[in-house]
Amino acid sequence: MIALKNLTFEKGDFFLSDLSLEVASGEIYFLLNRLDQVNNFLFRAMGGFQSAGSGKIAYDGVPLVGAERPPNTVFIDRIGDCADFDADARLGHWLDFLCAQGLSRKNIYKTLLVGNFHERQLKKMVRDLTPETFKLAYLAFCFAVDSGNVVINDFIRGAGKNFELKFNKLLLQKKAAGRSILFLGNDIFYASEIADRVGFIKNGRLMFEAASADLKDMDIKDLYLKFLN
Amino acid sequence: MLAFLHFEGRRIFGDKKILIFLVFISLFSAYFAWSGLNEHQQFQAEKKIFLKFEKEKTSQILNYMQYGAFGFRLLYEASPLNLFFINSSVLQNVESNIDSLEAIKVESSFKGKRLFLKRGYFKDFAGISFVFGSLFMLYLGHLALVSPAYLRFMTSRMSLKKYYGLTSVARLFWLDLFFSLLGLGLFLLVQLRGVVFSGAEKTVFLLYLLFLVIMLDFIYLLGQLTTVLVNFRKVFFLSFFIVWFICIFLLPEMSRISVFNQSLALESAEKVNLEKFRTLMDLEKKFHDYLKVNPATPLDQIRQMQKKFAVQFINSSYLLNTSLETKYLRDVEKVITGHERQSVIFPTTFYHFLTGEASGNGYYGYLDFMDYIMKLRNRFMQFYLAKRYESNDTVVESFVKSDENIFRARSRLPKTFWLGMLTAVIYSAVFWVLGYWLVRRQLFQ
Repeated sequence: MIALKNLTFEKGDFFLSDLSLEVASGEIYFLLNRLDQVNNFLFRAMGGFQSAGSGKIAYDGVPLVGAERPPNTVFIDRIGDCADFDADARLGHWLDFLCAQGLSRKNIYKTLLVGNFHERQLKKMVRDLTPETFKLAYLAFCFAVDSGNVVINDFIRGAGKNFELKFNKLLLQKKAAGRSILFLGNDIFYASEIADRVGFIKNGRLMFEAASADLKDMDIKDLYLKFLN
Repeated sequence: MLAFLHFEGRRIFGDKKILIFLVFISLFSAYFAWSGLNEHQQFQAEKKIFLKFEKEKTSQILNYMQYGAFGFRLLYEASPLNLFFINSSVLQNVESNIDSLEAIKVESSFKGKRLFLKRGYFKDFAGISFVFGSLFMLYLGHLALVSPAYLRFMTSRMSLKKYYGLTSVARLFWLDLFFSLLGLGLFLLVQLRGVVFSGAEKTVFLLYLLFLVIMLDFIYLLGQLTTVLVNFRKVFFLSFFIVWFICIFLLPEMSRISVFNQSLALESAEKVNLEKFRTLMDLEKKFHDYLKVNPATPLDQIRQMQKKFAVQFINSSYLLNTSLETKYLRDVEKVITGHERQSVIFPTTFYHFLTGEASGNGYYGYLDFMDYIMKLRNRFMQFYLAKRYESNDTVVESFVKSDENIFRARSRLPKTFWLGMLTAVIYSAVFWVLGYWLVRRQLFQ
């Protein structure tokens, strides 16, 4: 379970005020926010990379203290392309190294197979992979750790529909396995498609929360204009 | 650790760009070592001609007066290790002429083939490893940590401390191995081509190689630190070039200018020569005055007087001149010691000092050469005066026994070698810790 309580911070032009929410086991919570900076900050704060101004972040009831990586939680960041990673390494070398660090090869292949990954891609340099193959590999490495909580920062932005479907499949598998999933992003249509609950942040405050099923009865365009424009 | 070694080994040697650079460094180093070897063999051949010529020259001399005037030449022979440092040394193609004149000459010849030997800076094994090795290490240091996104990803699998520490150790292991094998391989190859190194020279080369590796590690860690300092920005290459230029060219050049400025405090060599000339001419004048006063002096008496003056010259003027020269040499030694101490401050400046001394063509080699010249000159003067005024030999006997007219400079390590090494290690450790602290601060805000 993921819990945020009275989370408050301010940095330059953007801020977050008194954010409280809980993501239960087997639930996907989509937190919608127009500003990428706020999402990035929240993602880093939840990952232990950034100290939150005040408030509390807890995973399975264990509060996050200071600059430490939270246990039993997987963080999936938005990755633009492979240039931010070691583009000159071969994917297979990367895989071997991470497996030597304790990642389960079986789990990695499980994810890769969902994405119709071909083994020959392992011989390629990371820079030669298509953005979607790279994203899939990244996702496979992240999901290789079977954690109770998953925090995702706008991961599917820029990805094609095909990749989105594969990703959804994986996400729903995790949900079915009882994982708590918090998705940070700004795509209301995608949120209504995948999430169980959706929260809208505007001007640094959580303005509105709704179950995904209820969203279907609402005018999404109206919600978009109201909270995300 | 093994996983890190395996992964980083693949990262370094699996990249074509890096492989091309490694092949380039290896080929260039081998080429310049081979070129140094050729020069060494050429020198050995010329040395034989030199010895033959000097023998022949003495046999052509008619009397000791001529011998005193012409004297004999003294050739400076660098250690065989010089073939790795042929352009990184202080002295090049040096020789001296020992005669009865008051001035000591140390000259570099550009006659004939030697005119075409000058190849400019860094074109030897030591120079290639220094210039291209440092550039390469700075670049690999820059690549090591990749990006904050990559580090965030990696730190979800292990602690930053572990990743940072083991990555550095693994990468440095492979890079050090490459440079060590390159140096040792070339060292073995030149031995296979017939160059014989003494035990001391082997030790000097191994310790030089150790310092080279430590200095390159320092540059690698500097590259890593610079990347973190500029927040992994892609416009890094300007800072990258500036850092490289400062370390490789600017600081050693500043050190050279500084030692030149210190040497300005030395008296001019011409002034010392002039003083010595004055002392000699005072004595000549006395003898001339004596002949003026006694124009009818018989020849055998003149000869006796000449001998008397010669003995007087040896016991007074010559001693005075020698002490002037020794004092001058000790003043030069003080400047050299100051320069050595100053070069310890930064690894690249110390590297320059070290290569000079390891080649045998360094500052201390020069001091040894001067000491040798003075000793030999002393003996030559005694020999010359005794032969000229006391013996009645009709054939001129050569002063030079066997190959005394070859000065064999020895490879050595500067006295401050371990201090220089320690300084480089301390710099590296500080950059390593500072790099970690900064990257941690960037990741965990």
